[in-house]
Amino acid sequence: MNAAPVTMTLLQTCVMAVLQAICVVLFVFIIVPLTIYAERKVLGFAQDRLGATRIAGHRVGLTGWLNRGMWRMGKVPFLSYWRGLPMLVGDIAKLFLKEDIVPTKADRAIFLVAPALSLIASVVVFAAVSFYPGALFTFPKIVPIIGGLPFNGCITDMNVGLLFILGIASVGVYGIVLGAWASNSKYPLLGGLRSGAQIVSYEVPLTLSLLAPVVLTGTLNFNKMTLALATEMPLYAVPILFVSFFVYFTCGFAETNRMPFDMPEAENELVAGFHTEYSGMRFGFFYLAEYINMVVVTAIASAFFLGGPYLAPFGLHRYIMHVPFLGAPNGLWFVAKMILLLFTFIWVRGTIPRYRYDQVMAVAWKYLIPFTLILVLLAAMVRYAAPALPVA
Amino acid sequence: MENLLAFIGRNMFLVFGLMAVGGAVALVFSKNAVHSVVGFLFSMLSVAACYLCMSAEFLAVAQLLVYAGGIVVLFLFVVMLVEMTKFKEKGLFQVQTPYAVAAVILGAVAFIGVFWSTWFGPSAAVPLTLSSPELAEGLNVASQNAEAVSRGLFAGYLLPFEILSVILLVALVGAVTLAKKERN
Repeated sequence: MNAAPVTMTLLQTCVMAVLQAICVVLFVFIIVPLTIYAERKVLGFAQDRLGATRIAGHRVGLTGWLNRGMWRMGKVPFLSYWRGLPMLVGDIAKLFLKEDIVPTKADRAIFLVAPALSLIASVVVFAAVSFYPGALFTFPKIVPIIGGLPFNGCITDMNVGLLFILGIASVGVYGIVLGAWASNSKYPLLGGLRSGAQIVSYEVPLTLSLLAPVVLTGTLNFNKMTLALATEMPLYAVPILFVSFFVYFTCGFAETNRMPFDMPEAENELVAGFHTEYSGMRFGFFYLAEYINMVVVTAIASAFFLGGPYLAPFGLHRYIMHVPFLGAPNGLWFVAKMILLLFTFIWVRGTIPRYRYDQVMAVAWKYLIPFTLILVLLAAMVRYAAPALPVA
Repeated sequence: MENLLAFIGRNMFLVFGLMAVGGAVALVFSKNAVHSVVGFLFSMLSVAACYLCMSAEFLAVAQLLVYAGGIVVLFLFVVMLVEMTKFKEKGLFQVQTPYAVAAVILGAVAFIGVFWSTWFGPSAAVPLTLSSPELAEGLNVASQNAEAVSRGLFAGYLLPFEILSVILLVALVGAVTLAKKERN
C-alpha cells in the first residue's frame, strides 16, 4: 500500500497511462456486453420465461442438432441457457452494420457529435476510479520502456478523485440534451428536456449522499476514502453509510435513466425518447453510454459504501482486517460487488414499474434532498463525536 | 522523446487557452443560439483543462461541476425552448448593437491598460501570489489543493465568502419575483 513513490520519466508515465487506459476500456467493454446479456436473462427469469436461448432455429445447423436432442428427451435444453450468449455478437454486429441515418432537417454537426459526447463522458470517469489500492503487479525488467515499474490499480490517484468523477459524469447530460435538440423532432425534444431536468435535479441528492462519506473521511482522494470508509469508521457511523448507500443508489438509477426513472425514453409516451431519430452505431453509443454509466454508478457505490477492494461493507471491514485472505484488499471483491449491484439494476427493472414524471421530480426535491441534508448533518455529528477519525 | 513530451507538457496551457478563446469566438459569432451554447461549453471545458495544466485540480473540477455541469446545462435548457427567430423579427438584437460596441471598446481599453502596465510598467515590489504562506499552513498546495482552497474560503476569507452567498440568494429571490410578475 504505502510503497515508496516511484519516480518515472514523462515517457514512462505516458506509456503507463495509455496501458492502464487500454485495460480499463477492455474491462468496460467486456463487462458492458455481459450486462446486456445478463439483462436479457435476468429479466426473462423475473418474468417467468427463459430469456435469450438461441441464435439459430432449432432445426438447422449444429445448434439446431444439439438442441433437438434435448427437446427429444423431453427437456428444455440446458445448453440453451448459455447459448443465448452468441446473441451478444449479434447485438454488436447489428449496431455496427445498420444504416446510419441523419434526418434531413436535423442539425447535422450537433446530431453527429452528441452520441460521442455521451459515450466519452461516461468512459473518462474511469480515469479516477481505483480498482485496487497500490500496485497490482510489477513489470519485469525485460519490458522495453516500463520495465520494473508497478502497474497501479487506478490510472490517476488524484487528490480530488471523487469530484473529478462527479464533474465528468455531469458533462454526460449534454450528449442526451444536444442529441435530442438536434434531432429536430418533438418526441426527442421532450425526452431530452425530461432527461436534462431529471439529471440536474438528481445530481443534488447524489452529490449530497456522497458528501456524508466525504465528511466522515475528510478527504476527496478515491483510495484514501475507500480505505478510511472500510477500516476506520466507528460503529455508529455504519447506519449513516447504510442509509446514504440506498439514497446514492436510488439517485444512480435516475442519473443513468434506468427503469423506475427512465422518463427520458418512456416508450409508451415518447416513442423512444431522446434517441428516437438515431440509428446504427450512433444509437449504439447512447446505448453503451447508459450501460457504462451503470458500471460507473456501481463502481462508486461499491467503492465507498460496500468497501471496494476490502471485503466487508459499510465500514465493518476492520473486524476482519487480520483474517489471512479475506482481510487483504483484493480487486476481485471490487468487481464482485460491482456485478452484484449491476444485477440489482436489472432486478429493479424487472420489479418496479415506472414513476410518473411529477413523481420523479417530487422524489428528488421533496424527499431525497431534505433527507440527504439530514444525513450530512448526522455525518458531521459523528465526525465531531469521534476525534479518532483521520484528519485529511 | 523526453524533451518533446516535456515541451508538449509546458505548452498544454497555451493549447487549451487557445481552445477556450476559440470556443468564446464561436459563442459570439455563431448564428444559432444552441451553437453558441455549445461554444460556451467548449470554452468552459478548455478553461477547466487550463486549470488542470497549472495543477489546480480542485479548481478545474469545480469549474467542470459548476459551469460545465450546472450553469451551461441551464443555459442550454432555456435556449433550446426559445424560438430565437421571434426576437429577430422584433429587432431586439439590432437595438443592442451601439451599446455592445461601446461596452466592447470600454472593455478593450481597460484590458489593454492592464496588459500595458504589466508588460511595460515597473514590476511590483512584492510579487503577487494567490497563496500567502499563512493561508496554506502545513499544507502542500500542489497535492492538497482542495484543503488549501477550503482553508482560504472558510478561514481566511469567511466573511466575503458568506456575503457572496447572500448575493446569490438575492439573485435567486429576484428571479422568482420577476417570474411571478410576468404571470400576473
